[in-house]
Amino acid sequence: MTLTREAPPVVTKPPGPPKRRPRDGWANAIMVAPATVLYVVMLIVPVALALYLSLTDWDGFSANPAFVGAANYVDLLDDPELRRAALVTLLVAVAGTAGLNLLGLGFAVLVNGASRANTFFRIVLFYPHVLSALVVGFLWSAILGTNGAVNNLVTRWGGEVLPFLSDPTWATITMIAVLVWAGFGVNVVLYLAGLQAVPHSLVEAARIDGATRWQVFRNVTLPALGPSVTVNIVLSLVTLLKTYDLVVSLTAGGPAGQTQTVAYLILWNSFHDARLGFGSAQSVLLMLVTGALAFVVTKLRRRGELAVHQ
Amino acid sequence: MRSPRPSLVPAALGCLLLLTGCGGGGFSDSEGSQAGQSEGGQVTVRMLVNITPNLTQAYWDGLVKPFEQANPGIDVKVEAPTGKGVADTLPQQLAAGNAPDVVETLMADETLAKQMLDLSDQPWAKDTPLAQEAALGGRIYTVGVGVQAQSLVFYNKSAFDKAGIDKPPATFEELEAAMGKLKAAGWLPLQTGGDFLTGLQLLQLTNPSRAQQYPTWHQDIKAGKLKAGESMLPYLERYQTWIDKGYVDKNALGLKYADAETAFLSGKSAMYVMGSWFTAAESKAEKDFEIGVFPAPVAKGQQYPGPQGATMAAPYMILKSTPNKDAAVKLVQWLVTDPEAVKSQLKQDGNFRTGVEREFTPLERQVQEILDAAPSGVPQGEGYGDATLPKGFGAAWNTEIQGLYVGKSPKEVAEGVDRWVDGRS
Repeated sequence: MTLTREAPPVVTKPPGPPKRRPRDGWANAIMVAPATVLYVVMLIVPVALALYLSLTDWDGFSANPAFVGAANYVDLLDDPELRRAALVTLLVAVAGTAGLNLLGLGFAVLVNGASRANTFFRIVLFYPHVLSALVVGFLWSAILGTNGAVNNLVTRWGGEVLPFLSDPTWATITMIAVLVWAGFGVNVVLYLAGLQAVPHSLVEAARIDGATRWQVFRNVTLPALGPSVTVNIVLSLVTLLKTYDLVVSLTAGGPAGQTQTVAYLILWNSFHDARLGFGSAQSVLLMLVTGALAFVVTKLRRRGELAVHQ
Repeated sequence: MRSPRPSLVPAALGCLLLLTGCGGGGFSDSEGSQAGQSEGGQVTVRMLVNITPNLTQAYWDGLVKPFEQANPGIDVKVEAPTGKGVADTLPQQLAAGNAPDVVETLMADETLAKQMLDLSDQPWAKDTPLAQEAALGGRIYTVGVGVQAQSLVFYNKSAFDKAGIDKPPATFEELEAAMGKLKAAGWLPLQTGGDFLTGLQLLQLTNPSRAQQYPTWHQDIKAGKLKAGESMLPYLERYQTWIDKGYVDKNALGLKYADAETAFLSGKSAMYVMGSWFTAAESKAEKDFEIGVFPAPVAKGQQYPGPQGATMAAPYMILKSTPNKDAAVKLVQWLVTDPEAVKSQLKQDGNFRTGVEREFTPLERQVQEILDAAPSGVPQGEGYGDATLPKGFGAAWNTEIQGLYVGKSPKEVAEGVDRWVDGRS
């Protein structure tokens, strides 16, 4: 009898990560360097400078700003102007985000098909976003101001002047409306991109199952748009929290300072009142709040998207 | 595998330190201005100026041309603000280590003076308009071309005639009586607006009266001897009644400065409180009625005309950091003393200077007469020199005054002003 022994299987070592040669490290570093330098110069340096300045009493002119520790941050807590501006900013951000997204999604659905008319309307809808916010502000103040086009018509027809920009409540609503008018074109574009990525087979299947248009939109399109909604909400929120230029050109923060936003106040305190240290502390606070809000909204949206998928 | 990230941290910190060091012109005393001597011994003097509808870039370039021709070694580079105005742009340039040599528009206060050249040793400086009044601790940092009269009430002569007002009011009581008649005749008696106009006009209107009651108002507030809001309460109460009676438009805050000016020039209102620069706009406006001007009224029993609100027109300062001190001093001296340069600047922006005769419009002639008749000048707004209130007072005052239009009581407004001053003192 011949015993045959099976040859032991050849165990080959799984291929490990290729050995890094020193030359690779240098190549990587060189390739990453331009982006890193840009990131550091454009983001890290300004933020670090703002942080440093927020701990000083710099007035923008003096050669040697004094280190004041957390004094500027303590002053922030006791600043009635900041409290008022924070409320206005929050209102603008929340109402504006709702407006931008509702209009953005609504119009995106309307101009979603491929036709010449839709292409034309997409351009028209995006056009206000191309205009500078300063131009938009002056334009709307010429339309809605006390002696503006609308009020000229109203008074000519025997009506009373409408206080679009002279009453605090009206002025705040006007500002939000103009912000939405000027910005929703971007949301339309983003939602259009999302709509065009919705799998056609899902929509088709739902229709074959007898779903109405609304049911298709509610149960197929909208859930599939989850990531687009998240991006739109976060972008709108972050942009609106920094509203500045439209305030300058439309209301100049008035009437009676009632439409001043935090960003407007930061610029005003920093340059007009020569309190750059204090203004920097306000900027740091705004940056933290914006970051926190964006983080919370993203988390909540992701949770919602996951729930839909499950 | 070792993450490559940690190795980036020292690099980032290095860049940060390097950039902070390089970009922090505002933090160092180095003579870091970019202006300097170019090849061939040519000196470039950079001058940061205010650009307005009257004072355009083209105007400034043309203004300094004769100086450049007379001084072939000096090239003047006129720079417009890169920010909202000169006040925003200068700190940015200082921080970037890129400060100009000369700055127009701003006036020295305790903050700015540290960066500016002391011109007290220049024999020509002390004779320029308001130079002594604007001095800080006896040192002259700011010199100007002329004077802007501030407490003027421009009026529509046709409206006054139709309302049966035969002479301009001299007291607040007469002003109120005139406003009543104008209102009854269907006119909006007093033109005001939003922006910075609301607060500015009330200060302009009350300067002559307030200066007689509190001759050192700015200094007393600065020293904590007087409350700004409290001292202005009677005027705020009076103004509230004007809003209630419709003497000013209750929706005026929806008007920008330019809209308010246009409304008055197009005959929609009867009176407009403004500084002397309004004469430049008036001379260009097409209208079918005549405009007159009278000094702001005073309280009963006070001297009329009272002290006239006055500010320096076209103020210039030289930055201490300039590497071209001699050329910069020469330029500024020329700008504020050369007869042709002075006349040109006065005419361009509707300003005045005692002893300088230029071509006047009828309205400008009246303003010159008002200036000549005024017993003295009184600082306007935040003030100047040793009589300077905390930076931002004008804007804070304006915001509070607008509160009268949105439901705040005069007392609340006065308290708001005082709270602001206390917070900045």
